[in-house]
Amino acid sequence: MALHDIRLKVNGVEYTAQVEPRLLLVHLIRDVLGLTGTHIGCDTTHCGACTVLLNGEPVKSCTVLAVQADGGEVLTVEGLERDGQLHPIQEGFREEHGLQCGFCTPGMMMSAYALLQQNPNPTEEDIRFAISGNLCRCTGYVNIVKAIQYAARKLHPPQ
Amino acid sequence: MGVWYMPPFELVQPRDLDGALKHLADWATDTKILAGGTDLLPSMRQRLFEPRYLLAVGRLPELRGIAWEDDWVRIGAAETLNAVAEHPQLCQAFPALTEAAASVAAYNIRNMGTLGGNVCLDTRCHWYNQSYFWRKGIGFCLKKDGSVCHVAPGGRQCWAAYSGDTAAALVALEAQLRLVAPTGERLVPVREFFLNDGQRRFVLRPDEILTEVRIPQWMAGYQGRYFKYRIRQAVDYPLVGVAVLVRTSGPRVLDVRVGLTAVNPMPRYFDVPSEWLEDPPEAWVERVVEAVVRLARPLKTSLLVSPAYRQHLVRVFTRRGLRSLLALPTAA
Ligand SMILES: Cc1cc2nc3c(=O)[nH]c(=O)nc-3n(C[C@H](O)[C@H](O)[C@H](O)COP(=O)(O)OP(=O)(O)OC[C@H]3O[C@@H](n4cnc5c(N)ncnc54)[C@H](O)[C@@H]3O)c2cc1C
Ligand code: SF4
Ligand code: FES
Ligand code: FES
Repeated sequence: MALHDIRLKVNGVEYTAQVEPRLLLVHLIRDVLGLTGTHIGCDTTHCGACTVLLNGEPVKSCTVLAVQADGGEVLTVEGLERDGQLHPIQEGFREEHGLQCGFCTPGMMMSAYALLQQNPNPTEEDIRFAISGNLCRCTGYVNIVKAIQYAARKLHPPQ
Repeated sequence: MGVWYMPPFELVQPRDLDGALKHLADWATDTKILAGGTDLLPSMRQRLFEPRYLLAVGRLPELRGIAWEDDWVRIGAAETLNAVAEHPQLCQAFPALTEAAASVAAYNIRNMGTLGGNVCLDTRCHWYNQSYFWRKGIGFCLKKDGSVCHVAPGGRQCWAAYSGDTAAALVALEAQLRLVAPTGERLVPVREFFLNDGQRRFVLRPDEILTEVRIPQWMAGYQGRYFKYRIRQAVDYPLVGVAVLVRTSGPRVLDVRVGLTAVNPMPRYFDVPSEWLEDPPEAWVERVVEAVVRLARPLKTSLLVSPAYRQHLVRVFTRRGLRSLLALPTAA
């Protein structure tokens, strides 16, 4: 099996790697680059725990070949915090109790991040639509919605 | 690494359509086409496909773009479902299509999943869309690795349900598909593309690439809606999908069409005969509903709900669509 040389930016850092074509993006991120914030919760593309941003759009990284991300930019949960300062989305999850076991949280936050980039003032319905591909077994979602609303207010304070 | 390993394959990443066709000229029967991979990659982990080559078409420039050209609206097959669902002019012109696209899977899947992959979606069945281990446990089935059908035992046919959402709208819209092979290309009306056979599925040959979906511009004058039933939003494939299209001029109803998916091995459609439309809608709405219900033959390809319930929902959705688009009072 021919190996492929790929080059991609993850959280602003340039990486090169030689990968088998069947290597999934999530395995590249976790096992090759050692960024284990991105989780794997299923084998069937159902759960969304693996959600990362690929070229600005949220995708399930367990269903993208690492090679398909060649030349692209990836943002994972590790890329949210800046200089030891939590991103308002992370702060929101802490303040509003948006997690219990935390397994879904990295994927949730990436979907939330993409939403707030495109829609700074989402309604509750917009938020629920945006995170519909992210399953949570613990919270019942109510506090996740509140966490994202917290972040929206913090990022764009009402005038 | 995950428990369900991805089988090995060679990835071919041509720069343009010509490069892709060159590969297909030699290796068509050993190749699966990879677009967004949102159906193919999970299926490969279940060992439903173990191709020698994957041919990546997602970045081919010839498969991109959404444009109004002559009498057609051309949508590149590799445009993502979100690009289709969020395209303002498409939403205006073909609401049934954009609603169907917006209803596929979930937002973070629609950023990879393409319109072409949705049209060419494999048929689905409870006994088929399972891991290798699971399928081995029941002795496999006719569609893959086995010799019996668990849905219609004794038969020689596979009844797996075609479960692409956008096809319901596309058959009603009389869309056409451009299929390009190393030896030439052809335009196939979407109404003639599918086969009522869960195994053969459609007339696409292994050496053909779907490059574009095109919709006649005159279909932009229709109002449309898409109705879908599934158990878990954002996770499950449709168990029923109904697209309803209506064209009116003042009080006159000029044309009515219904497209149907997820209840047969192929999508179906019903064009209301124009003579019916000379009478007021109340005279024919229920006749249309029953005609559409007769097209639906859901079987036990899903164990989540009964075939009778899915048939019932075809009736409910068709009636709801017609009555809302024709501004009739809701039926009691
Ligand atoms: C959790 C989950 C839920 C889902 N829910 C739905 C749903 O509700 N409704 C629905 O319709 N789908 C659903 N899907 C399936 C899938 O996400 C979509 O159908 C999507 O549009 C497939 O597009 P893709 O580009 O990812 O196709 P791929 O997976 O890349 O390909 C699908 C098939 O089409 C063939 N193909 C792709 N492009 C071409 C081309 N240009 N020419 C020739 N052949 C081609 C491939 O060889 C393959 O056989 C779901 C998937 C998951 C994982
Ligand atoms: S309909 Fe029968 S042959 Fe087809 S996938 Fe289901 S069990 Fe297998
Ligand atoms: S790990 Fe579950 S969707 Fe990717
Ligand atoms: S907090 Fe446990 S899965 Fe969401």
